[in-house]
Amino acid sequence: MNSPSRTPLPRLQQYALIALLTLTALPHVLNIDFRISAFFLVLVGYRTLAVEKTALLPNRLLLFLITLGALGMVMMRYPILFGRDAGVALLIAMLALKLIEMRVRRDVHILVFIGYFMLATQFLYRDQIWLVGYAMVLVAALTAMLVESSRNAPSVSLFRSMGVSLLLLSQALPVMILLFIFFPRFSSPLWHLAADTDHAVIGVSGNISPGSISHLSRSSAVAFRVDFEGEIPPPEQRYWRGPVFWFTDGVNWRVDKDDDLAAAELISLGPTIAYNVTLEPTPGSWLYALELAVDIPGDSQLRSDYQLIRNTPIKQRIRYRVGSVIDYRSGALGMAERQKGLQLPPGITPRMLDLVTRWQQQSDSDAELVLKALDYFRQQEFYYTLYPPPLGENPPDQFLFDTRRGFCEHYATSFTLLMRIAGIPSRVVGGYQGGQINPLGKYLIVRQSDAHAWAEVWLRGKGWQRIDPTIAVAPERIEQSIDPTLISDVIGAPIRFIEVKGGVLGSALRQLRWGADAINASWHRWVLGYSKERQLYLMQLLGIGFMHGPKLAYGMVAITGLCVILLSLILLYRVRVKRDPVYAVYLSFCRRLQRRGIVRMAHEGPRDFASRVIAAHPELRNRVARITGLYIGIRYGQLDNKPNRRQFKRLVRRFNP
Amino acid sequence: MTFRTMNPLRRLARSDSAGKAAVTPRRIYILPTGFGVLFALLLMLMLLGSINYANNLGFMLTFLLAGLGLVAMLHTWRNLVGLELGSGRAAPVFAGEDARFEIELSNRRRWSRPGIQLQIRGRAPVTTDLNPVATEVLTLTVGSTRRGRLPLPRFTLSTRYPLGLFNAWVYVELDAICLVFPKPGKRMPESPAPEYGQSQMGDRGVGADDFAGLRHYRPGDSPRHINWKALAREQGLQTKLFGGDRAEKCWLDWYNLAGDSEQRLSRLCRGVLDASAQDIQFGLKLPECELKPARGQRHRLECLTALALFGESG
Repeated sequence: MNSPSRTPLPRLQQYALIALLTLTALPHVLNIDFRISAFFLVLVGYRTLAVEKTALLPNRLLLFLITLGALGMVMMRYPILFGRDAGVALLIAMLALKLIEMRVRRDVHILVFIGYFMLATQFLYRDQIWLVGYAMVLVAALTAMLVESSRNAPSVSLFRSMGVSLLLLSQALPVMILLFIFFPRFSSPLWHLAADTDHAVIGVSGNISPGSISHLSRSSAVAFRVDFEGEIPPPEQRYWRGPVFWFTDGVNWRVDKDDDLAAAELISLGPTIAYNVTLEPTPGSWLYALELAVDIPGDSQLRSDYQLIRNTPIKQRIRYRVGSVIDYRSGALGMAERQKGLQLPPGITPRMLDLVTRWQQQSDSDAELVLKALDYFRQQEFYYTLYPPPLGENPPDQFLFDTRRGFCEHYATSFTLLMRIAGIPSRVVGGYQGGQINPLGKYLIVRQSDAHAWAEVWLRGKGWQRIDPTIAVAPERIEQSIDPTLISDVIGAPIRFIEVKGGVLGSALRQLRWGADAINASWHRWVLGYSKERQLYLMQLLGIGFMHGPKLAYGMVAITGLCVILLSLILLYRVRVKRDPVYAVYLSFCRRLQRRGIVRMAHEGPRDFASRVIAAHPELRNRVARITGLYIGIRYGQLDNKPNRRQFKRLVRRFNP
Repeated sequence: MTFRTMNPLRRLARSDSAGKAAVTPRRIYILPTGFGVLFALLLMLMLLGSINYANNLGFMLTFLLAGLGLVAMLHTWRNLVGLELGSGRAAPVFAGEDARFEIELSNRRRWSRPGIQLQIRGRAPVTTDLNPVATEVLTLTVGSTRRGRLPLPRFTLSTRYPLGLFNAWVYVELDAICLVFPKPGKRMPESPAPEYGQSQMGDRGVGADDFAGLRHYRPGDSPRHINWKALAREQGLQTKLFGGDRAEKCWLDWYNLAGDSEQRLSRLCRGVLDASAQDIQFGLKLPECELKPARGQRHRLECLTALALFGESG
C-alpha cells in the first residue's frame, strides 16, 4: 500500500525544517561544549548540501558510524550522561542524527517534537523575555510544518500553513493561561540532579578576597528586587546584609560555617520595616535583608551573627517577606565570639603594628580609635577604584602603605584587620548597598553592581556597630549607585557615579529604561516567580482560596475542560450544517413520493425525476409538474420571493400521493 | 443490507433520499494517532522537567503545547463536520475487473478542508485537499469477483489534519451500485440453424463464403486473403474480398450451450461482445426472457445487463 506518510519530503520543506531546527538549538551554542556545537553545525551543513544532491545522503553503514561518533563525542565530554548539560548535548546529537536521516513525510513529526523539546530545554539556561518571543516564533513555525505535512498535497505557500498554525496557537493560548494559573505548584523539586552546577550564578559568596566584589560590580544583572510595604528608606540606610566573614589568612576571608548558635539578644530601638524581596538565584543560601532581620521567613534561620540563611540552596528565583530594624543594640559578647573577632592572620608587618600603636596612644576609647582609623583613610591618598593595581605577597600591608587604590572589599578587610590588631573584636560583612527606585513600579532594584562589603566592630556599651570605611574614601558611593556602563577600564581610574543628567533625550532614555525594567519586574513577579505561595495568594484574591492541593488539580481540569467545550461550541456553531429551507421542502416532496415507491436516484435532477414520475403515474402529472417547476424557478430561476416560497411549501404539504 | 442491523452501536453516515450523506457531529469517531500518543508522552516529560526545575517558562511551553493538542483535536473533528458525500456514476465492468465508483465530496463551508482521505478496507486510500466551497469527485475502486449488482461497500472518510496528532473518521454507506457483467468466456459455437433474412447492406466486406471482388491491400488484411496470383503477375498487393454471409440475424441461445449457468452466461456474454463488434443483428434467448434481434450500443447494453442480472429478482 502506498501510504501518504511514505512520500518523500519536498525540498522546500526539507530546507525549512533544517533551518528551523538549527534555530531551536542555536542558543545552546553558548551553553554546552563547543565541540558538540561544531559537530552539530557540520552535520547540518552536510545535510543542507544533501537536499540538492541526494546521492550524498548516508547509507546505513555511514549512518551507524556517525551515530557512534556522536555518542562518543557526548560521552567524552559528559561521561556520566546525567544532568542538564549532558541531556542537552545528547538531545542535540539526536537532532543532528534525525536530520541526517530525514527522508519522508513521517519524519517531520519526530523532528518537530525534538524541536519543541529543544525549546523547552532553552528555558533551563535563560529566562529573558526575548527568548520567550524567539521560542514562540519557532513553535509557530514548527507547528506550521506539522500542518503542512498533514495535507495531502503541498500548499501554495508555506505561509498559508503558518497562518493555520497561528490560528491554532491563538486558540491554544487561553488553555495555556488557565493551566499556567491553576496547575498546582510544588515547593521542592521531585529529585535533585547532583551533576548540575550553578556556574552561571553570580553574587556575593561565602568567600571574599581582594577583587571578588569589584568583579561583581561590573555586572548590571539584577540581584534582587524589593517591594516595601511602607516608605522606602533613604540610601544611607539601605545596607542589605549577607554573609558575615570571620576568618582570614590575610588574603581570603571566609564565613564561620560551624556556627550553630541562635541569634544573639537584640534590643530594637526603632520601628520594624516590612518588605518583600524577590531574590535571583545566588551562590550559597543567604537571604538578603535590610540591616538586621527580626521577622524571618519560615524556611530560614537567623544565626548568632545575624546572617539570615535559608535551609535549602537558592537555585531558583524566590520571594520572601522580611521585617527589619535599622536601630538596634546587640547584647554582650561571648567568649567564643570574642576569640573569633580577634583572630589574626600571619604576616602582620611592623608598620601595621606601628600605625595601630600610634592610634592607641592618641585615643582614650575604642570608639575614638575607630574614628582615628577612618580619618586615616580619609586623609591619606586613598582612591576608590574598580581596577586596583595588582597586590603582591602581603596584600593588606601593600594596600595600606603602597598602592592605596582599592574597592570596598579592600577597605573593609584592611580596616577590620587594623581593628583586630588594636584588640577590638571585628568582622567583615558582605552584601549589597543602595539600589535604585523604579518610579514606574514603586520598588527597589538592587543589582550586582551594588555589591558591597563593610566592617562591624564591637564596642562596649553599644554592641556591634556598622563601620563603612568606604564612606571615608568615597562618600558618594553610598548616595548613588555605580553605573556599570560608565566604568572605565583604566587601572586606578576613579569611578563615575550615576548622576541625574538633564536634557530631554537623557530623561526619555531613562524613562525607557525604567519602563523596560518595570515590564521585566512584572515578568519576574508574575511569570517567572509564580510559585506555590503566589498561586495561593492569587487564589485568595480570586476568592477561591479553598482551592489548593488536589482540589486545585480538579479545578484545573474542570476549568480547562470548560474552556475546551466553549471553544468546540464556537467551532460547532460556525460549522452547523445549514440546509437551504427550499431544498429541505423539496426533500420532503421526494420522501412523499418514496412512499409510493418512486425513489429519486442520486444522479437524477429534479426535471428528470419529474418526467420519470409522470411517466409512471400520469395521474400525478399536474401537481408534480407544478411543484417541480416552482422549485426550479425558486432555486435556479428568478422566482425566489416570499409568496412563491410560501406557496411551494403549501403545495408540498398538501401533496399526499 | 444485513450488516447495518448487525452493529447497531456503530454510527454511520448513510445517504438520504437524495442520495447524499452528510457528516454530522455525532457520527465522527476520533482517536489519537501514534504520533499523538508520542506527543502526549513528550508533554509528560516536559511537565516533569518543568516541575523538577520549577521552571515557569517550561510550564508555559508545556501548557501551550497541551492547548495546541486540544485545539488540534477540535480542528481535526471540524475538518469532517458538515462534509457532504454523494455517489456519482459507476460505469459497468466485467467480472474480475475493478469497479470504479465516483464519490462526490462537497465542501459548502468557506474554509478549506485539507488532508481528506477515503478508503475502502484493504484497498489503497484516495486523498484530496478540498478547497472552500468546492466539490470534488474521487474514485474508489473495488475488485469485482462475480456478475450482478455490486454495491459500494462501506468506506471510511478520515482526516488527520491539521497536526496529524488525531485521526477522525466516519463510516459512510452510500447507495451506489455498479453493474458487473459476466466475465466473457469461450467463443459461442456457430448457430445450428442460422436465420436468413434480406440484407440491406449488400454483401460487401463481411463474411467468408463468396468471393466478392478485389481491392488494394491494407495493412492488417489476412495473408490468406492476399491475391498471390495477382502479385505474381506484378499487379501489386491485392486483397480478395468475400461476402455473402447471410446469417446476419443470429440468436444467442441459452439452450444451445452446455455447462452450468455461469459458464453459459460467460459464453453468451462473449457472444454479445463478438456480435456487436461485427455489427450483426442478434437476439438473446434466456430461460426467463428473450431480447429481440437488434443492433447498436443500446441493445448491447440491454443484453449485457440481462446477462448480469440473470437469476436476480428485480
